[in-house]
Amino acid sequence: MPSGTLFAVGVLASWLAIFFGLKMVGRLFFIGTRQLDSDPSRTRVDLLSNTILTAVLAVIGVVLTKPFVSGMFKLPLVWFVMPWTAWLAAACTGLIITRLIQSTTSISAEERTHKLKAAFGLFIAALVFTGLYLSDPTNKITIIEGGVPFSLLGLVGVLAIAIAAVGAMVVTAHSANARGLGKTIITQLALLAGSVVFGVPFVFLLVTSFKEDKDMSSPNGIVWIPRVTETVPYLSPDKAKKHFEATFEGKTVEGLEIGEEGGKVKIDIFKPISIRGTTFLVDRAELKEVPVQAKVYTAKVGNEIIKGFESDSLADGSRVLKVLEPDSRKGTTVTVSPDQTEAVRHVGLRTENYSEALSYLPPETLNGLVYVKNTLILVVMNVVGTILGSSIVAYAFSRMKFPGKEKMFSILLATMMLPGAITLLPQFLIFRTLGWIDTLYPLWVPAFFGSAFNIFLLRQFFSQIPMELEDAAKIDGCTYVKTFWSIMIPQIKPALAVIAIWTFMGAWNNFMGPLIYINSPENMPLSYSLALFKGDRSGEPGLLMAFSTLTVIPVVALFAFAQRYFIEGVTLSGLGGR
Amino acid sequence: MVLSSMMSRFLSVVGCLLGLLVSVSAQPARREVVFWGLSMGPDSKGQDAVLREFERRNPDLKIKLLSMGAGRMDPQKLMTSIVGNVAPDVISQDRFTISDWASRGAFLSLNDYIAKDKGKDPLCPTPDQYYPATWAEAQYEGQTYAIPTGADNRVLYWNRKIFKESESELVRNGCDPTRPPRTWSELLKYSKAITKLDKNGRLIRAGFMPNFGNSWLYMFAFMNNAAFLSKDGKKCTMDTPEAREALDFMVEGYKIVGGYENSEKFKSGFQGKENDPFILGQVAMKIDGEWILNDLARYSPSLDFQCAPPPVPDDRYNKIGRFKEEKDQFITWVGGSSLAIPKGARNPDDAWRFIKFMTSKEGRMIEYSAQAAWEKLRDRTFMPRQMAHKEGNEEASERFAPKFGNYGQALAMHTEMANYSRIRPATFVGQLIWQEHVRAMEAACFGKESSQKALASAQANVQRDLDAFHNKSQYPVIDLRLPGLVGVLGLAGFIGFFVWQFKRERIGKLERQEAKWAYLFISPWVIGFMLLTIGPMMASLFFTFTQWDVLNEARWVGLKNYQDMFGSDWKMVSKALGNAAYLAGVGVPLGLMTGLLVALLLNAAARGIRGYRTIFYLPAIVPGIASAVLWSWVLNPEPVKGLINAYWNVTLTPWMGIQPPGWIQSAEWCKPALILMGLWGAGSGMVLWLAGLKGVPTSLYEAASLDGADAKQTFWSITFPHLTPLVFFNTVMGFIGSLQEFDRVYVMRPSLDGPVGPDDSMMTPVYMLFNNGFGLFKMGYASALAWLVFVIVVMITFMQFKLKDRWVHEEVK
Repeated sequence: MPSGTLFAVGVLASWLAIFFGLKMVGRLFFIGTRQLDSDPSRTRVDLLSNTILTAVLAVIGVVLTKPFVSGMFKLPLVWFVMPWTAWLAAACTGLIITRLIQSTTSISAEERTHKLKAAFGLFIAALVFTGLYLSDPTNKITIIEGGVPFSLLGLVGVLAIAIAAVGAMVVTAHSANARGLGKTIITQLALLAGSVVFGVPFVFLLVTSFKEDKDMSSPNGIVWIPRVTETVPYLSPDKAKKHFEATFEGKTVEGLEIGEEGGKVKIDIFKPISIRGTTFLVDRAELKEVPVQAKVYTAKVGNEIIKGFESDSLADGSRVLKVLEPDSRKGTTVTVSPDQTEAVRHVGLRTENYSEALSYLPPETLNGLVYVKNTLILVVMNVVGTILGSSIVAYAFSRMKFPGKEKMFSILLATMMLPGAITLLPQFLIFRTLGWIDTLYPLWVPAFFGSAFNIFLLRQFFSQIPMELEDAAKIDGCTYVKTFWSIMIPQIKPALAVIAIWTFMGAWNNFMGPLIYINSPENMPLSYSLALFKGDRSGEPGLLMAFSTLTVIPVVALFAFAQRYFIEGVTLSGLGGR
Repeated sequence: MVLSSMMSRFLSVVGCLLGLLVSVSAQPARREVVFWGLSMGPDSKGQDAVLREFERRNPDLKIKLLSMGAGRMDPQKLMTSIVGNVAPDVISQDRFTISDWASRGAFLSLNDYIAKDKGKDPLCPTPDQYYPATWAEAQYEGQTYAIPTGADNRVLYWNRKIFKESESELVRNGCDPTRPPRTWSELLKYSKAITKLDKNGRLIRAGFMPNFGNSWLYMFAFMNNAAFLSKDGKKCTMDTPEAREALDFMVEGYKIVGGYENSEKFKSGFQGKENDPFILGQVAMKIDGEWILNDLARYSPSLDFQCAPPPVPDDRYNKIGRFKEEKDQFITWVGGSSLAIPKGARNPDDAWRFIKFMTSKEGRMIEYSAQAAWEKLRDRTFMPRQMAHKEGNEEASERFAPKFGNYGQALAMHTEMANYSRIRPATFVGQLIWQEHVRAMEAACFGKESSQKALASAQANVQRDLDAFHNKSQYPVIDLRLPGLVGVLGLAGFIGFFVWQFKRERIGKLERQEAKWAYLFISPWVIGFMLLTIGPMMASLFFTFTQWDVLNEARWVGLKNYQDMFGSDWKMVSKALGNAAYLAGVGVPLGLMTGLLVALLLNAAARGIRGYRTIFYLPAIVPGIASAVLWSWVLNPEPVKGLINAYWNVTLTPWMGIQPPGWIQSAEWCKPALILMGLWGAGSGMVLWLAGLKGVPTSLYEAASLDGADAKQTFWSITFPHLTPLVFFNTVMGFIGSLQEFDRVYVMRPSLDGPVGPDDSMMTPVYMLFNNGFGLFKMGYASALAWLVFVIVVMITFMQFKLKDRWVHEEVK
């Protein structure tokens, strides 16, 4: 037998040993707390056989996997790299074995033949897959040997595997014989582990949106606690580096002095970014110098560690530090090369990521407010349109009689599964003829024509309303419109709320529509602007994550307020149970 | 109440915003010149300055900028805007695609403008002012369609320090460590001597990665005298011995650095400018344009590098064999942008004024001096970029070239090589040749196909479009008003028939009244169905028999689109379908299982169910684009950055010796990455399962436990059968969904053109449809693809409904 296979057997033995060992410990624990078995002698035999089994398996495992090779204990692991045909063949083989075992323990002859038949079918399948595997000479199986070292991370890893395994067992043992505290603990642990897995990307999003560029990549793994570089306000004596605040066209701007013309100072604006590069003339008296935020560094000068802020940087990249500490040298300057300095940082959030992300947006979008406006228009119009359009059609289909109703309704049902792809191009041409390209109309007008799925859903709800209500209204002389609006609509409010939320999500997330129809920033909704932003600033995860967070927040906020409709909507839809 | 209050709140917010906007936009009216395709940043001072200067000189005009994704124009956006009559006025466009746009009549010819202003306006561009290659690239059939701006060529950058460090290895391999390689075989030898791999085969230091920087297959093919197009422009000649040799050279080059995927992974780990591996001294040689000088000067001013002509085939260098008569020993290729006016621009005259100023020597000098002043202010070195304007380029080099380090030498090398540069064929299939050449290059470098096969299939794809264009006269022009009229008449006839039927119906007055109201009520759906569903469907079916790009007349081609789909393009179609099948076949069951597992756990837990449910559900409500953006970082292949690989690198790598996968950078892991990302959003399914589980009557469980059924039996005989309708619904929807996968792929694909994902491993049917329809505006072919998707969806749905009876448990009502 090749060494890889032996190792795999050893891994199996080791893990079984651990399993039986743990089972025994659990057993002992139960015996200690309360007597489960009525027959103590049987318990003793059980314990003894279990111990022997554990020991034998452990010995096999240790011999075959040599877990102590480099002086450190390693829990052996194995993985097979093989093509899917081999995986399927292996799975079939495993199933054949279980079926054969089951057939020996079956209670009736009928069951036994059933199991044997199943085993035979699986055997054929296994043969087919093996044949397929062998037909390609390049196929091969590689056995990867490895082990989890006994370290904190290793322990966490093994624990995670254990929780997952036991969690899966709890799942299959759903509400049957597994009971008691143990089950609760394990379920909770499994759920906690799951929450971590599902929650971590979220936390990553939030944390990254507050990180400095320095923390984006780190050889020590992911940085979870953002830190910011300390700065001190500094008024530079260098004329070219002074920052000035002035008023330009009624707005407060910041800029650099780039020259003088006719007794006035020429200022080059760098903030706000939207009008950067604009130069203008201003009286010196109207200028107000604002401090530069100079970064604080520590540096080793001789044998001394000094702390100072960067007052200037030279052409060769070296930094001029104005010393802050120690006191003996305070106020003096030293010139050091960048690799001798280290930025002074403390735990904190870099909120500038958010303001910078917004300031990079095109100026006509007013820091992204226009995106929000467009998205809101889309959301509101879609929600209103879908609710009005779908409910009135659904009402007619459920409560009114007219010739051709059945035929029309089956057509409607047929369009439910229709892929949007098929109407994509002609719809573009239709909207082009209407001159609606680069407007929001193509993205919300269709909502007013109702959607097949929502009509179908609402029809179910209308059908459940007792006929008497409507009859009473009719007798009172209500028109159809009035009956629909004042009697029927209030009855299906919860369903409408659910549809409203689905439509909201759909409109908020719609990406392909804006991608096709919208060109100018003034008409873009958030989802599309985010995709463009990713294209522009893919190298700056801080800004990217900040902008992403901004697009996610409104949805999460809505979710917080209307969680009931989100989650229970499924039940209302009738798709959940019955 | 909830709704109405919510709505009123929304409306009030919208109202406030509208008010705000109106108050802001009340500015004096200036005509706007809408300009697309420039990337503007805090450091693009030169561009800012020249734009402001233009506005100052032309007080009646205002420039409105829009950069579409990294300053690069997205062809799909431009095409939709031209077709939709909302085109920008000026567009900065890669020069080699100009012919493509011009052939479709999408750009305005500038000949009249030039003729009118020539000799009168000193700003007017004339051919003699430009490097001939750059001017020629912007011509199509004798007309000028764009004015060149930049002229970037590529040279070899080599790190002298690394050469010194690897002196012994270099000498041992018979290389001279004091000079860069001059020929291909030398280049490979040098690379072999310098490249270092760790014991897991990962790159530590690369000698030379053929396509790192900017060389592409084009560069090496040009050197080997391969032309991708015949002289008359009617035959695509990608699959020639010369091109094959060039591609084989690249494959060979990649083998030395541990394979293409390995080097792509290595490359993707260095995002951001200061992290360029050449700057960091982890790549010894690369072929790149002069734009990298800026970053070099900024992030590693003391790097000991030099520039040399890019190495050429040995025979060319020695001027023997095929190259005996060759004039140029070394050659390079030149690219760059140009300014053009799209068809349908609202202010073409103003646009021309703008282009004149922007491309003139005066304009360029304003731009360069402003940028230089800005860099000086910040103590940075200004590197003048090469420009297509000859006189301007010479003046800029004289005035602005840095006087220290090797930068002067580098710039001089670029200027020198400009005289020996080649351009990509100026043809209307330029964009397609580019895409296909990237595809072929990847396929060969990945080792998926031999270079001959890869090039042959690329050639076939290009040839198809060439033939379609050149042979189009054999297909009759069809007036689209005719089928439109038929459609309208058919509709009118149908409605008439319906009304006639209704009139004949023997029903009472009251019922007639009710029916009339009902028809009114369902009219929104009926109208929508006619105009937005069945009408478009029929139109789409009709388009499948035509060749139409919307801008020009449509032609009736019969079944040609279907022949292409199942013939020459079948490789790509089947790939897209295969990818969708993978996503559906693996992703859908996994998603269902994850949802079910979580739901079962939640169902078993009594405490904290609401909290857990919220956490598990939250990812499902994250907008798709935001989640794609997030996951492109979570899945970053580099262990120092990507969330998953960071932990993989400290667990599975030391435990099992398995290297972290390349995720979306790797052809193999791309789809698992998408599936993994999909699993994160499995919460929506979980809620469905939970509702389903709650619907299982508890009496059944009680009965089962009384009968002594074990957990497994209970699950398979009670729980699962009750959930089968859900399984059914979710499987159908999941399959249909994966066929139409688009948003995530669009946002996450690593490169913007060429293959969708490495080796097209992220290509999906709807993406393909979108690209053909809105990128290339092949309405006919895209419609055929749409119908293919439609037929498959119908088949899947039908099959699932057939199978449904066999395993879906439905209670007898």
